[in-house]
Amino acid sequence: MNATKLLQYLSTRLRGPRLDGALAVLALVLAILPARALAPWTGDVARIVAVPIVPIMHLGMALRERIRPPREVFDPRAPEVIELEMAAERYRTLFEQSRLKTEALERDLAAVKAVRARAGSGGVQLETAAVIGIDPTRREGLVRISLGARHGVHRDAAVILRGDIFGGVVANDPAEFVSLVRPSVRCSLGVRIYPDEGVDADRAPAVFPGTVLKPADGGVWLGDLASDAEVREGQVVRLADDRYGNVSKGMRVGRVRRVLPNDQVPLARVVEVEPLAHLVDEATVVVAIDPPEGTP
Amino acid sequence: MRWAVYILFTLIALAIDASFGGILKIGESQPRFLPCVVVFAILSAPRPYAVRIAMMAGLLADLLSPVLRSDGTQLVVLGPWTLGFALGSLAVVPLRTLLYRRNPISSGFATLVFSLLASVVFVAVWVLRMLLLRDETPSWWPGTGGGEVWRQAKVALVNGLVAVPTVWLLEKTRPLWGFSTAKRVIPGAARDLA
Repeated sequence: MNATKLLQYLSTRLRGPRLDGALAVLALVLAILPARALAPWTGDVARIVAVPIVPIMHLGMALRERIRPPREVFDPRAPEVIELEMAAERYRTLFEQSRLKTEALERDLAAVKAVRARAGSGGVQLETAAVIGIDPTRREGLVRISLGARHGVHRDAAVILRGDIFGGVVANDPAEFVSLVRPSVRCSLGVRIYPDEGVDADRAPAVFPGTVLKPADGGVWLGDLASDAEVREGQVVRLADDRYGNVSKGMRVGRVRRVLPNDQVPLARVVEVEPLAHLVDEATVVVAIDPPEGTP
Repeated sequence: MRWAVYILFTLIALAIDASFGGILKIGESQPRFLPCVVVFAILSAPRPYAVRIAMMAGLLADLLSPVLRSDGTQLVVLGPWTLGFALGSLAVVPLRTLLYRRNPISSGFATLVFSLLASVVFVAVWVLRMLLLRDETPSWWPGTGGGEVWRQAKVALVNGLVAVPTVWLLEKTRPLWGFSTAKRVIPGAARDLA
């Protein structure tokens, strides 16, 4: 009875803007009700309200799928997917190969540029060669490279490693397309010994102690040295021998490993030098080819 | 105004928003047809009904946009869109005298204003709810309320664009709506002569 009266009262009082205000207050109260007060009934009301619009939504979804079809379900085991993955792997490998090749070519180019800077305009031709064969016994350390007489390679042509390391010389008359290289560690070399921290460019090479290195067992050189010369371990040894051409003159050869007393000559010492790089460990080298005789 | 027709069009708009509307997305902003229908009705219905018809549409929007809670259950919160639409309608009602109501471009502008204010209130109510009830998170969580307003502003802009053709189509259905076309007769010299 009271409820009926309340409804009658509300219907007479709540009209126009007052009704709008009351509805807004009710909406605000509902909006800030905690979840435990809303969850039991709002979900059910929503489900009831959704009933009439579900058919229209189905129609809308059908239209949507018609206009923009959904993507097919991805099957990672489908043959075309496996084929694509294999192709991607193949191309990745090829890309990696190309990248390594590019890096190797860039290294070669840098080495050639470094040697060319040393060679100046003396007419010396610089060619990059690949190391294609190594002496299996490694006793002599001979190496076969991919340049021969057809490319202008001649006997005693200097072989340069990493831009400024004297690696050896072409051993004998080269074949048409390949040559045999004798590593520097098997050559007698006239050298000078420089401080490892660098030298003043104005100082003449003659002020630095010199010696002739001779191959010794263990892949090193030995050379006699005057006792008054100041030589320490770790000093850099550079080529000072005219026999190997101007390009290789001044190139690094090795590093002083030990300075030993000379038993036979008390006033002299023996210097033991180890090579900075081994020809057999390189993949590419640069060959300095002198111009043919008669060429200006 | 025929309420049945209004409810029917509101439900159709809600259904389109929930299904077909996705293909009209511009960027991340999906236009909504519900504000277009509501603005069309507000601009043509008797002024005292404006807030009520907007609140009814807002209530339907609330009922059909549940939020996902942290425990995986869905919760339907009544109020945010209801209040938002109410404020939107209060902003649009004064425009009735400024705009040519049957012009779709006018309706597009009105829809933009309506949607913008509705979204501001929607975000404000959720922020209030978050402050009062610490365990509640809105649909834009973990984003910020400001970010949501910005996103809704872009949606409002798209709503304004979509409203132009939508209201043009709704104008074709005007006879169904039963809007009052009675004019107030003012006595004057011309009438006296007649």
